[in-house]
Amino acid sequence: MQRKIIAAIAALTATLSFTALAQTTPEDAMGYRISVMTALRGHIGAASMIARGLVENDGYLLGHAQGLNSAASELHRVFPEGSNIGESEALPVIWEDSEGFAAAIAKMQEATSAFVEAAEGGDAEAIGAAFRNVGMSCRGCHDNYRVPQ
Amino acid sequence: MTTIASRSRLVVLTGAAILLAAPATYGQDDVVERGKYLTYAGGCISCHTEDSDDAVPLAGGRAMETPFGTFYSPNITPDAETGIGGWSDDDFVNAFWDGVNPEGEHYFPAFPYTAYTGASREDLLAIKAYLFSLEPVSSESADHDLAWYMDTRLAAGGWKALNFESARFVPDPDKDEQWNRGAYLVRHLGHCGECHTPRGLTGVLDADLEFAGSEFGDENIPNISTHRIDGIGRWSVSDIEYFLDIGMLPDGDFTGSSMVDVIEDNTSKLTREDRLAIAAYLKSVPPAENANN
Repeated sequence: MQRKIIAAIAALTATLSFTALAQTTPEDAMGYRISVMTALRGHIGAASMIARGLVENDGYLLGHAQGLNSAASELHRVFPEGSNIGESEALPVIWEDSEGFAAAIAKMQEATSAFVEAAEGGDAEAIGAAFRNVGMSCRGCHDNYRVPQ
Repeated sequence: MTTIASRSRLVVLTGAAILLAAPATYGQDDVVERGKYLTYAGGCISCHTEDSDDAVPLAGGRAMETPFGTFYSPNITPDAETGIGGWSDDDFVNAFWDGVNPEGEHYFPAFPYTAYTGASREDLLAIKAYLFSLEPVSSESADHDLAWYMDTRLAAGGWKALNFESARFVPDPDKDEQWNRGAYLVRHLGHCGECHTPRGLTGVLDADLEFAGSEFGDENIPNISTHRIDGIGRWSVSDIEYFLDIGMLPDGDFTGSSMVDVIEDNTSKLTREDRLAIAAYLKSVPPAENANN
C-alpha cells in the first residue's frame, strides 16, 4: 500500500515537473524568481526585527530562518538563461560569470544554514551575528549581479 | 512590550552618556585613533580613493562626474611632493573651514567644505594626525577636466563669494546631546546633503529641499527626508541605524546602490551610538516631496 502511494506520488511529481518544464515561459521564470526574492525579503525583514530585539522571538525566528534557507537552496534554479526580460533586475554578468555567481549563492546557503542553527540555539548574540552574515550574503550578490537601484 | 521600550530607552541613554563622556576621555595618545574614526565619519575614503580594487586608500584619483565637468580627487596621504605632507595645522583647518588651499587659492565645492566648515578644529586636527600617520604615497593628482567657464579658480572664488559662509557648528541648546551629535555628523562631517539634497543651476544645495533626493551621475539619489511616501518617514530610528550598519532596507531588501560604498567605508565603522544619533537627527528633518521625478 505504502509503496503504491509513494510510486503514485513519484509519478505525479514527474508529470508535474515535466509539465512545468514544458510550459515555463521566460515570463513565468522571471515571475517565479521575483516571488522567491520577495519571500526572501519578507523573511529577512521579519527576522531582522527579531534579531534586533524589536519583536519577541517566541520561537518564530526559526521559521523565518528555515524559509530563508529553503529559498536560498533554490536560488541556483531561479535564474534560467533567457529569463532576463522586462522588469528583471538581473545583470547579464550572472550568465557570463556563472562560477562567481554560483559561489555567491553558495555563500548565502552557508549563511542561512548557520542562521538556522543560531535560531535553534536561541542565543541572541549568536542570532545577531548570524543574521548579519545572511545580510552580507544578500548584499554580496546585489552588489555585483543586480541592476543598481 | 514594556521590556522592549525600556530596553531601547536604556540604549539611547547609554548612547547619550558615551557622547557626553567622550570629549573628556580623548588623550593626546589616541588622537590618531580618534582621527581615524573621524575620517570614517567624514567619508574621506569614498572620494579620495580611486575606484579600483587595488587602489591605495586616500591616494586620490577618483573621477567625479558633475554637470560642470569631471573632478579628480587629490592625494591626501602625507607625501610632501604629491600629497599633503607639507601642510601646517592651519593649512589643513583652512581647507575645511574656508575652502582654500595652502596657497590661498579657492577650492571648487566638489570638496564639500560648505559642509565641513562646521567641523571643530579639534576634530580636523585629529583627522590630520591620522592622515599624517599613514604611509606617504607618491601619486600626482590629475587635473580636473571642467567646462570652459569653470576652468579657473576664479570661478570657484566667485561662486564662493555668493554662496558660502564660513561658520562652525553651534549646538542647539533646545535639543538634546544625541540630536546635536547627529546634526554635526549629518550636516557637517558626514556631508549627507552633498548627495541627498538637490542643487540649483549653479550647483548650490537647495536649502528648502534639504534631503529631498537628487541625482549623481546617472544615479537617482533617494529622498531621506521624513516624507512618509517619498522619503524615509516610515523608517524607525532602529531601521535607519541598521541600514547604516549593514545596508538593509526596512522591507528586507539590500540595494546595490553607491550607498553600499558609503556604508562599507564609513557608516558601518561608526559606533552604534553615532549611527543612532544620525538616525535621531534624520527623524527630525521636515518632510519634503521628491525633488526629482
